[in-house]
Amino acid sequence: MAFRTALSLLLNKRCPVAILWALKKPGLTQLGHHGMELRPFHRSAPRWSGKLLTAEEMFGRRSLQDYLKKLEREYEESLQTANSSGSGGGLDEDELRATRTRINRMAPLVQSIRELQTNEKEMTDAESLLQDDDPDMRELAALDIQNGLQHIQSLRHKIMELIVPDEEVDLCDLVLEVTAGVGGQEAMLFTAEVFEMYQGFAQYLGWSFEVLEYMTNDIGGIRRGCAGISGPCSYKRMKFEAGVHRVQRVPKTEKQGRMHTSTMTVAVLPHPTQITLTIHPKDLRIETTRASGAGGQHVNTTDSAVRIVHLPTGVVSECQQERSQLKNKEKALKVLRARLYSRRLEEETSRRYMARKIQIGTKGRSEKIRTYNFPQDRVTDHRIGLSVHSVRDFLLGEGLLEEMNSALQDFSNQESLLELLGENL
Amino acid sequence: MTAFQALNLWRRYFEERGVAEPAHSSQYIVAHLLGAKTIESLGQEKLNKLLSCDKMERLWELCIKRLSRMPVQYVIEEWDFRDLTLKMRPPVFIPRPETEELVELVLADLQGKQDTGMHGERQLTCLEVGCGSGAITLSLLKGLPRLRAIALDQSKHAVDLTKENAVRLGLEDRLLIHHVDVMKEPEVLLSLSDSISTLVSNPPYLYSEDVTLLEPEILGFEDHAALDGGEDGLDVIKQILTAAPKILSIHGHVYLEVDPRHPPLIQQWVKDNVNGLSYVETRHDITNRPRFCILRREQ
Repeated sequence: MAFRTALSLLLNKRCPVAILWALKKPGLTQLGHHGMELRPFHRSAPRWSGKLLTAEEMFGRRSLQDYLKKLEREYEESLQTANSSGSGGGLDEDELRATRTRINRMAPLVQSIRELQTNEKEMTDAESLLQDDDPDMRELAALDIQNGLQHIQSLRHKIMELIVPDEEVDLCDLVLEVTAGVGGQEAMLFTAEVFEMYQGFAQYLGWSFEVLEYMTNDIGGIRRGCAGISGPCSYKRMKFEAGVHRVQRVPKTEKQGRMHTSTMTVAVLPHPTQITLTIHPKDLRIETTRASGAGGQHVNTTDSAVRIVHLPTGVVSECQQERSQLKNKEKALKVLRARLYSRRLEEETSRRYMARKIQIGTKGRSEKIRTYNFPQDRVTDHRIGLSVHSVRDFLLGEGLLEEMNSALQDFSNQESLLELLGENL
Repeated sequence: MTAFQALNLWRRYFEERGVAEPAHSSQYIVAHLLGAKTIESLGQEKLNKLLSCDKMERLWELCIKRLSRMPVQYVIEEWDFRDLTLKMRPPVFIPRPETEELVELVLADLQGKQDTGMHGERQLTCLEVGCGSGAITLSLLKGLPRLRAIALDQSKHAVDLTKENAVRLGLEDRLLIHHVDVMKEPEVLLSLSDSISTLVSNPPYLYSEDVTLLEPEILGFEDHAALDGGEDGLDVIKQILTAAPKILSIHGHVYLEVDPRHPPLIQQWVKDNVNGLSYVETRHDITNRPRFCILRREQ
């Protein structure tokens, strides 16, 4: 317990921004480089090696200050363009509309930047009063400074949160896919435990968790499980969970007390909207047990399993979770859509990032991201070198997992910001 | 004995005695006994737990029923239809998956009518002939909160079961149920209403000669009146289509689930025999069989 408290203190002290970032409102954050676009799907391995900077350190950087000035300038120019063209200036209607949208999107950010400037100036004034002859005045100034600093701090967080753009798919729902890796029965048992951990996580954060595929074997493990997750920021947080998870322990099934190392893979597939992905019904082959024989009133089958094959790609999904065949079909389609979408995203990004050496991919197949070590009772995330204690509590999918996940998110946000500023750590 | 062991034991028994779908049968029964719908949605922990004496006794009771070839849906006394869980009781016809798709078609149509306000502020009313357990009508009522429905069946058992399911689902307020045999008293059909927006039915459509070839589950337990459509399977269908133009409002639709051989026969028969009704189209089911007929009342 002591460690948990220590960890949370450490995290909060290092970066109180974390919480604010997590609460970011989608509507306000679609502001990218040019105040217009979302970031493309982020697939390269982040440079986790750096350390997490505080808001103060970030704002101390010239690059950030320059960037803020640039944004302000852009905003001013847009305003001028919009105003002058209102009286018949050189812009056509589309351009004008784009400019207005840009202004609307940038307004909250620019407002915060200006508020910050005002506050910083007030701070300088207050500091000069610290030298005042009147002790009452000095005390008042000290109080003023204390309050002002707090306000400045929260403004800085707000600005940073407004600058870091969301990824294209951050606002999607997702399909979680867990697959047993090396380690036979033990790997399958661990896969079931991880699946339950995320079920707990969804519950903890108030997301919905709908089991789409879950087939247990004799001793309770699963080879594969799928679930649909939706809720605020669900993809945005869950994407950091994708990759290879490793467990080290003496399995239940082990008779001689030897320790085993097994793995499982977590894939987090953004769920496309109807608009971003259309599937043509003629491309699907739907298989059910009722396909042979006469069907209809002639037969009464209880096997309601549905298997769907997407013919052009050969991608397959199946569901037998429900007694209703139609429900099974809907669930299988949901998984299929997510698989097709992630496949397409992967193709797109592999073209875009061909040059990069390290790639995770949505499925995070390659990289070992986390180890659950039972003998030492710790969970270590290898990307940020962070360890927490009590594996059992971690597997509940509650506070400990959330802390780990938030830390990953902070690193990623910072990285995006620095990337935006064209800086390396 | 654990639930898992019982599951395998009964699967083997069923297999040996030639009971259809042995694995699924034992899975559904065990899942039901342990309070789940499917074995897949039952946690592993529960499957590995020892069964209490009570549970064992109950399981044996249920499985012996299944050995007599009673359909699983009657054994566990319930089944799912779309997102509803319905009570099932012999001899009331057990809804088939194809009918879930029939509902899909009707829902899409009625939703469209509601959205486009084609019917203005007027109340949409749906009539079902042969409601059985209530699957179609109750799904429509569930999906469309402003819809009213009338449901008919020739069987008292079916009428009672539909009523019971309606009450369990809290949908009885917008539903009228009548015990009517449209073959014997077609005039009752005409007296119901003359402004039905949609007439839907999964009527008995089997050819009489096919009925004797059915699986023992169907032959021995389900109401033959809900299955046997006469020599060409069209007896009840013709009765419904004859009445349709008199009770449907203008542009009201008829939705029928039929035998895959029926659609061309129905199209021709309506053309020759029924005024004021036009054949709109044939739709296919998930296995790509021509399964549903859509017709429309003309002016």
